[in-house]
Amino acid sequence: MSEVTKRAVGVSMSGLGKVFSEKLALDDVSIEVEPGTFLVLLGPSGSGKTTLLRCVAGIERPSQGSISIGGNVVVGGKTFLPPERRRLAMVFQDYALWPHLSVRKNVAYPLATSTLEKGERTRRCDDLLERVGIGHLAERYPNELSGGEQQRVALARALAAEVGLILFDEPLSNLDADRREQLRIEIATLTREAGMTAIYITHDQSEAFALADRIGVLNQGRLVQLDTPENIYRHPHSAFVARFTGVAGEFPVHVTNEHGEGVVMVALPFAAGHTIEASTIERLESGADVRLFVRSSGVSLGVPSRDEGVRGMIIDVAFNGRGYDHVVDVGEGFTLTKVFAATKFDRGQNVKVCFDPSACFVMDPTREVSK
Amino acid sequence: MAIAALETVAPAAPSTTTSKKRGSLGGVVLWVVLTLLIIAPVGSFLILGVSPRVFHQGSQWFTLSYVRQAFSSYFGRGIFNSLWVSTSVAILSVSIATALAWLIHRTNLGGRRFWAVMMWLLLMMPTWMMTLGWGDLLQPFGAAQALGINTHWIYGEFFGPLGIVVVLTSAALPFAYFIVSAGLQGLGPEFEDAARIHGAGPIRSLQTVLPIIAPALLSALAICFAETMSDFGVAFTLGYHSNFPMATYVLFNAISNFPANFSVAAVIAAVLIISTIPPIILQSRVMRKRSYAVLSGRTRAPRRRELARGPRALATAAVAGVFFVALGVPILGAVIGSLVKNLGIDSPNGVHFTLTYYAQIFKPSIQGDSLGAPLLLSNQLGLVVATGTGVLAVILARRLIANPGSWSQRVTDVFLLGSVAVPGVVLGVGYIFFYNLSFISNNVISIYKTLPLLMLALVANAVPGQTRFMAGPVSQIQPSLGEAARVHGAGRMRAWRTTNLPLMSRVLLWGWLLTFTKTIAELAISQILYPPSQEPASVSIQSYLANFAPNTGTAMTVLTLLEMLAVIGIALSVYRLVTPAGWRRVGWTGVQS
Repeated sequence: MSEVTKRAVGVSMSGLGKVFSEKLALDDVSIEVEPGTFLVLLGPSGSGKTTLLRCVAGIERPSQGSISIGGNVVVGGKTFLPPERRRLAMVFQDYALWPHLSVRKNVAYPLATSTLEKGERTRRCDDLLERVGIGHLAERYPNELSGGEQQRVALARALAAEVGLILFDEPLSNLDADRREQLRIEIATLTREAGMTAIYITHDQSEAFALADRIGVLNQGRLVQLDTPENIYRHPHSAFVARFTGVAGEFPVHVTNEHGEGVVMVALPFAAGHTIEASTIERLESGADVRLFVRSSGVSLGVPSRDEGVRGMIIDVAFNGRGYDHVVDVGEGFTLTKVFAATKFDRGQNVKVCFDPSACFVMDPTREVSK
Repeated sequence: MAIAALETVAPAAPSTTTSKKRGSLGGVVLWVVLTLLIIAPVGSFLILGVSPRVFHQGSQWFTLSYVRQAFSSYFGRGIFNSLWVSTSVAILSVSIATALAWLIHRTNLGGRRFWAVMMWLLLMMPTWMMTLGWGDLLQPFGAAQALGINTHWIYGEFFGPLGIVVVLTSAALPFAYFIVSAGLQGLGPEFEDAARIHGAGPIRSLQTVLPIIAPALLSALAICFAETMSDFGVAFTLGYHSNFPMATYVLFNAISNFPANFSVAAVIAAVLIISTIPPIILQSRVMRKRSYAVLSGRTRAPRRRELARGPRALATAAVAGVFFVALGVPILGAVIGSLVKNLGIDSPNGVHFTLTYYAQIFKPSIQGDSLGAPLLLSNQLGLVVATGTGVLAVILARRLIANPGSWSQRVTDVFLLGSVAVPGVVLGVGYIFFYNLSFISNNVISIYKTLPLLMLALVANAVPGQTRFMAGPVSQIQPSLGEAARVHGAGRMRAWRTTNLPLMSRVLLWGWLLTFTKTIAELAISQILYPPSQEPASVSIQSYLANFAPNTGTAMTVLTLLEMLAVIGIALSVYRLVTPAGWRRVGWTGVQS
């Protein structure tokens, strides 16, 4: 077992609840995080993800439930370990760099209580600063750095702690798109290289899918699904998870008949007589009124032919670098958004719309499953 | 209430993980201390206004006769005079301060940093020192005449409402200046740019932009009014000598005469407090809504207007003129007055300069004692009071910004607002009354007529203003900085010492210096509470001035002022020498122009 693997710790949260002035911020959340896992907690504002992270860090005290880190109970019963005794590191949303300390001193802060010699501490800080690409800025102060550079300092400081668990509180939310992409890769690489368990919170589903080994989706203080990114995307357990992880369109449909294990045929409301295949995790009767969710990867566009098929008209098109995202009017007031095509279809152009059953799923819109 | 006006930032909402038990125990201890310091002395004194029998000061359980008495004849004149003078001073000082703030912060005026430092000096200058300087300068055969300037024509005018308004306006200027400056600094150039782009000329642009800082102007008016109402230094010196009674002096007079009339004094005290509470509440509301502070989030740094050479020289001269009148004249008057032999006496030998009076300061003199001892005592008081106030103010400021909207935060806020409105003279009289009650001196604490009583009163006087002064900078410190320290292994104390303390150090230092200098020169409480044969410098100086030794008193005043400046200089130098470079890079920008 390598040194880094030994360092990673598991985290266990059980029945966590938190109430702020009669407002329920967390409601019976239980999560097991295996050592070395990169867990992303995904949810909209107010879903409780920050509260959950702060409870793990020891900055907030949960109203109920327990937390163990590396097998040691840090919250539970009468036990409440303060943050400094939990042996973890954290990257804050606002970076939380101390403005009166130079970059090097900020990074060296977690090492102050270590038994390392001063020279060794400095060497380690400098190594880390080099690794995050800002070795030349060691003597600067935080207010002399750009947002991306500040975020790198915060990352280096968290890595310097050499602990088994690192927490990320929406660390990329204050950066522009280019820097976000670049730093996202560095966070993923460096955290995994350091062999730490990571809990990362974000409201950005693309960030979550890119980083996570596992994703926990939170809504209104409850954990509504905990799974791999692939399963979250392909088999959302609720309309909320489907919507929050991105759909190109959502339509009311009714089931015409079952079509094998987990697959049904549904009649499209905007194309009379047309039915398509869609997957489901529920047992649905013929004639049931449900909603169809279509991922953007589940729609493709083509030049209309004489074949029967769903027709649409392009109402907007945007170049995204790799190709084009289209907005398609499919009739009856329904539209599909972010429909990708490598070639451009012009505004007003008629197109053929094809659906991939593996990226179309139906469910009862009121269904909410707590995982 | 001296420095309450410097409150600059709305309380923020840091999170807290403090144990509830420890919090409530700390809260109980804090409120016991505050009760003994402020609530009980002031409350028990105020009750006497309508119910003298409660504390055996009369036979009635309830009466309005003292209220009628307080609003009639001499007492009534004092209240009326204070109200109209305070209103005039508020309007004048805010008008001048707005112009100064705009010139210093928004133009390329010459010597901007120098003027900002001068404003701090003006803030630290006690009003009785200003009065003394003006008096020495203008009196017949005074300092101006020694310089060959005839001041007969203005002397009579100065010793009356005109002089009182001039001195009090000078004293109120810094409060208005700091509040308006905060408003102006938050006001980015984009509003003015937008107005200009959409066709407004310079005047219309100003008309468009000024309402944005209206809350700051309103706030400044409120604080200047309250500051002037509660001033004692001018009322005790210039007001008394001009036969122009003001509320704080008539209150003092009511308890100084024999027999002391505590009930009338209590009614006047209540009038003083009631008249200052509404403006202070208004100021607090306005600052909390912070309608101009919201501009600061994405607002770019204000751009300075480049004045051409002529207008720039004219504007610089005008600003210099204001500071000359407010600060230069009093200092010049006092310095020359301390060097002129037989100041104010028509001597056949003409005017002579001498250093005799400075030499007398440290020799036994007409009081049978040297003047060195009172100055030393004032320094000791300043040291203890500034340090004690600093500690209490930090605790209270943290309480004020923690748990916003909670019961404890609201009570602390209301209490501090109310306390800021209590003038020093009311607090002093309250202490005399409360700590002389037999129940208190026999069963709780026996410190009547002792130095600790004076110290406690001075701390009580400074704490509310100092707390509000600190609340802004304390709330500016992002909670995540402390949380980051804790998460990365620092215990509670190390986290505070390594993250919060450096960020607060500059405001702590300036807060300490303000309280120290204000305490050294404090007159109202010192005059009322000094123990027998232990006069602080301000009291000793007044007694020299009143006992026909004006030169010695003036020399002592100049020396006290020099000593205050020296302490400020030394403290700032030490701070610069001993603190790490990073500490000086951050924090409060109150002294930057």
